[in-house]
Amino acid sequence: MEMELSTEEMDGGITRVALDGRMDIAGAAAVDMKMNLIAGSAKKLLIDLQNVTFLGSMGLRSIVLPARAVHSKGGKVVLFAPNEMVEGVLKASNIDTLLPIHHDLSKAIEALQ
Amino acid sequence: MPAEETAKHASRLTLKSQLDDMALLWPWVEWLGVEYAIPADTLFNVHLCLEEAISNVIRHGYDGQPGSTLTVECTSPDAREVVFTIEDQAPPFDPVSGSIMEDQPATSPMDYLRPGGRGILLMRKFAHSLKYERLAGGNRLAIGFSLPQ
Repeated sequence: MEMELSTEEMDGGITRVALDGRMDIAGAAAVDMKMNLIAGSAKKLLIDLQNVTFLGSMGLRSIVLPARAVHSKGGKVVLFAPNEMVEGVLKASNIDTLLPIHHDLSKAIEALQ
Repeated sequence: MPAEETAKHASRLTLKSQLDDMALLWPWVEWLGVEYAIPADTLFNVHLCLEEAISNVIRHGYDGQPGSTLTVECTSPDAREVVFTIEDQAPPFDPVSGSIMEDQPATSPMDYLRPGGRGILLMRKFAHSLKYERLAGGNRLAIGFSLPQ
């Protein structure tokens, strides 16, 4: 299944990006450009990972590089609801020290305020 | 798809030295998961490690140049383990015991994102065993995963 990406503008100026599929090399390539475009304009970015079923190092890049772009503008980024295996990769890579992980949506939103 | 893998259902996969050929990897791994009754969490680790190892071969071993191939073979020596063996014809590259940052602490998450860098550490963390052999004119990397009893 091709990686899919959808966006939603939430209250409080939060952009929610929902990723859906496998963030392997092909999946990362499929969303890279959109992620970079979103990062170019978003100030508060919630990256919804609940439907991401795989995450490799190229997928990590597709999340972290746009997140850094948001950070560089003084913005905030949080990761929302990765499954246990995806969270394992995020933690093994120390990405959680750069991008906080939340499983409760209200707490994720609060962290972006 | 290369001839011998028409064989979507073969235990051996041949990939060209180009990253877009890696789209063949997951369907193959997914099928092997059924064949060898590999649980979903182990299958996740298999895909993670193979993606890291193979993309390193393509990007660094072959320097991103098309025109070469590599093979991945899946075997299950006994009911407790499944082993994926990657063979290439690239210059020597030992991700197991070399000095590839193995003892250096990760000072930044970005360290993991450098091509050929911490991706190898991810592989080391998520595989149960790694065994490297230098071949005459190539490399062989065997990545093992335990199966539940």
